[in-house]
Amino acid sequence: MDNLVRTPMTFWSSLNRSGMPVSDRGRSGFIFSNVFLHLHPARVHRWSLRWPTTWGLGIAALSAFLLTLITGVLLMFYYKPHPAAAYLSIKDIHFVVPTGRFIRNIHRWAANIMVVGVLLHMARVFFTASYRRPREFNWLVGMALLVVTLALSFTGYLLPWDQLAFWAVTIGANIAQSLRELTDAVGMTAFFDPGGLQKLLLLGSDQVGAEALIRFYLMHVMVLPLALAALLAVHFWRIRKDGGLARPADVGSRLPPPEGRVYPVFTEAPQKTYSLAAIVRGKTPAVGNGPENTVPAMPHLMLAEAAVFMLTFAACLALSLFLDAPLKEMANPAVPENPAKAPWYFLGLQELVSHSAFMGGIGIPTVCLVGLALIPFLDREEEGTGLWFGGPGGWRLALASFMFGSAAVLAVETVAINFGWIREWFPGTPQIVITFVNPGTLLTAAYALYSVWTVRRYDSTRAGAIGLFSCFIAGFLILTVIGVHFRGPNWGFFWSPSMWGGH
Amino acid sequence: MRQNKHLLLWTSLVLLGTLIWAAVDENFLRDWRRAQREARGKLAASERADLPSQVRQIVLAETGAVERCVSCHVGMALDGKEVPGDKVFGRHPNVIHDPARFGCTVCHGGQGTATLLEEAHGTAPHCPEALLPKRYAYASCGSCHAYQDVPARAGLETARAVFERSDCLACHRMDGRGGTMRPGGAGGLEGPALSRVGMLGYAPDWYAGHQRKKAAASSGPWRSSMPELTDEERRSLSAYLRTAVGAPGLVLAKSLFLSRGCLGCHKVGGAGGDDGPDLTAVGRKDPVLTPYARVRGPRSLENWFKDHFRSPGRVVQGSKMPLLSLDEREADELTFFLFSLRRADLPMSLWPKDRLCVERLGGREFASDGETLFGAFCSGCHGSAGQGRSYPGLETFPAVANPSFLKLASDRFLADTIRRGRPGRRMPSWGAALSDADIAELVKTLRRFGDSPFAGDSRPARWARGDARRGASVFQADCAGCHGPHGAGGTAPALDNQVFLEGATDSYLFRTVKNGRQGTVMKGFGAGSPGRRTLSDAEIEDIISHLRSWRKGK
Repeated sequence: MDNLVRTPMTFWSSLNRSGMPVSDRGRSGFIFSNVFLHLHPARVHRWSLRWPTTWGLGIAALSAFLLTLITGVLLMFYYKPHPAAAYLSIKDIHFVVPTGRFIRNIHRWAANIMVVGVLLHMARVFFTASYRRPREFNWLVGMALLVVTLALSFTGYLLPWDQLAFWAVTIGANIAQSLRELTDAVGMTAFFDPGGLQKLLLLGSDQVGAEALIRFYLMHVMVLPLALAALLAVHFWRIRKDGGLARPADVGSRLPPPEGRVYPVFTEAPQKTYSLAAIVRGKTPAVGNGPENTVPAMPHLMLAEAAVFMLTFAACLALSLFLDAPLKEMANPAVPENPAKAPWYFLGLQELVSHSAFMGGIGIPTVCLVGLALIPFLDREEEGTGLWFGGPGGWRLALASFMFGSAAVLAVETVAINFGWIREWFPGTPQIVITFVNPGTLLTAAYALYSVWTVRRYDSTRAGAIGLFSCFIAGFLILTVIGVHFRGPNWGFFWSPSMWGGH
Repeated sequence: MRQNKHLLLWTSLVLLGTLIWAAVDENFLRDWRRAQREARGKLAASERADLPSQVRQIVLAETGAVERCVSCHVGMALDGKEVPGDKVFGRHPNVIHDPARFGCTVCHGGQGTATLLEEAHGTAPHCPEALLPKRYAYASCGSCHAYQDVPARAGLETARAVFERSDCLACHRMDGRGGTMRPGGAGGLEGPALSRVGMLGYAPDWYAGHQRKKAAASSGPWRSSMPELTDEERRSLSAYLRTAVGAPGLVLAKSLFLSRGCLGCHKVGGAGGDDGPDLTAVGRKDPVLTPYARVRGPRSLENWFKDHFRSPGRVVQGSKMPLLSLDEREADELTFFLFSLRRADLPMSLWPKDRLCVERLGGREFASDGETLFGAFCSGCHGSAGQGRSYPGLETFPAVANPSFLKLASDRFLADTIRRGRPGRRMPSWGAALSDADIAELVKTLRRFGDSPFAGDSRPARWARGDARRGASVFQADCAGCHGPHGAGGTAPALDNQVFLEGATDSYLFRTVKNGRQGTVMKGFGAGSPGRRTLSDAEIEDIISHLRSWRKGK
């Protein structure tokens, strides 16, 4: 009987072994005795907690992912992945399922916020030079996460089975097939056709249909989320193993004195730190930097993370309340959308694809990804790690490169839009020439040359990387804006969608 | 840390507010909830409990489609609690098809799955189909039904006039009009309703019966309103009653379409020409593919149709459709008809008999007499009575009922021309669409229009023995001005057409050149006229031989 009376207390202490986090020890225990929190360090550096260090972008992307996960599971209760039923089940979700429309809007907005968050997070990591040794591998994991995020978003795009979905994915599948542009030129498509195989693997058929839908569904609700979760675990775990967030070498002199209310640090001298140093690579808190600048993760880091979580949730829900996720007419393979546009984050690529499907859809993205992946391995410098625009050239170089990148992309696009391209000047030019000489490849070459020039000028790979990355951002932004806003029927140029006419 | 605490507090509050607002929106502000609240407000307090707040829907057993229109229009079907007399919440008027079984959208259009006003009525962007304007509601009978053997417009107009004139509406009700008098005196019954008599049938000896009652009655409507009818008038009335199928105006509208020669260029259900778009399902025109850019007025299919009739070339750039010069009433009637071309995608097991007849068993929606056929297929170009037409910007269409032409043209020549057309010109070949009997009917109709039989020709088809070279120089001098240097046509018809050269006999050519064609600029060359020299018979023979030299692969 006594045991029964005491059950709530025993249950609580069995649940929460370290007791209330009132002491340093308790606070540490709060973190590392919790399976969900133990990826966090028990103590966190004050540098990491500054808002400008990260702007919370990674956590924002994570919270958006959690939102899509929760709402996605809810949507799965009603969604039916078959062409005959998919569109109607979305209509049902929109019109009759209680809060269905709200949930679907949240799913859609969270997905968009996740893409934006991941891209901004990558830009943050790059510009603070946080990818450097020993974090090279985590940069690669981050790139894998970017690719999976985009893939998740793209596979989700087909599921509503409306015109938007159908034709965007048709474009995507044709891009997958665009390797044929090369194999056709060499004349080997007949016996070796990797492009066609890619499309077949993607769609399970030669056009978007029931097979493609079930494939995309499976990828979207199972394979890719599991992959993303696994990669995320690695990503977070590596942050700790790589010694927390990157910070400048002279971090002590850059931080203001700690607030009076900061909890005292290491009241006893650490005994075991050095033996730990024998197995953990990198610098432990006790070596060099001293422990004064760390604070317990609970509550400092927890509060900061909770704030970012809540901010993302609130923004996402507020957007969902007022802006409905689009749903066009039911997919109709006989009536092509014109213009058929991919999701906005692919429209920069689609703009390049309009010049050459292979280069825009496969060639240039591959070059970009390889280039990004190489950055931490080429840049072995130490100057400016953990600082915004750290390294030679600084923000001036970043700004100048951004200007150059914008000017180059605008120039190339202006020529292509006003005067056409080689085909218009010399009809009969073989496709292989256009594949290798088109606005996209010229732009890539210009950016590469510019980057080489910056490396020479500053005698620093970091400077070259800043130049290249800023150009890349400028190109991505401007091409995306052109694709979203200035392209109309038949991918023609229009100053505003109201001038499309006929539609 | 303090900043973060504040941020956490405020964002949490915003989040909480958003969730509360979403809950309020979900539970009180949905369009269908508002509508049901309004309906409840109009009910007596004791009846309100009969109308619980819930989504209501019709599930169509045959197609499995779901329609939620009754979520707002609570009284229309499914034993909802109706607000008597209310336009939105009242009961559906009594029509042949029960909405609970047939659903709403099959007749009214719109989006059945929706529970939001704009989406349900199809005014929101990307709705597949907008609500059909209420006055066109009967057009949607055409979603499933066909109507066979629509008579010619003129006859139908006369029949309607006879019906109105004969005072039938005194005792009978039709399409919501009439039936004010009681033939049996005070307390008597009105005459049977005639709105659907075309389907339900009526006694063939109705006229004799009426006359007997008239003879028996001493006063009242039987004496005052029942007229004596001639046989002709009774035939007209029968024709008119046959069109009373519960869809007021639909058959009449169809007859207008069929009298304007639209089928000459447009196909409907497989019959018709190829110059214009197929109209079989034009009433469901995809809003995405409909060019609205140059349409004046509101963006609706109704307005698109009407504006297109007013000026086809403005609405659809490059349109070859001539200006029809319809008055507003006709434009409205034609719009009504176009809305009836909706062809619902139903499994064939659900098709009504009439549609099966038309689409599978070779039945036709138009009658097969020559007048109707000419109206449907020919009048668009050749005029309502074969008088020819010229539309601005298009070539002149020949007057096929010209007496001096008909006198020279044998029935065989006419039939052959209709059957094979004029390859390369606007005149298509009708051999596939029209049977030999139809074509014979058309020839007879032409003869009737022109009031001239074939004059006869005792000579063989080819007798001219002229010199083609001499003919060529005469042709250049006297014919090329209008017919073109190589006979390809100009202001005058083309002469190098192979079907024409094959069918036209020498006598036909000879007499046309010699005597000219009355009512056109082609004056006879046999007698001199100012500014034009007289050709001898030999010269005409030379020209004929020259024309024959254009015939390929003799």
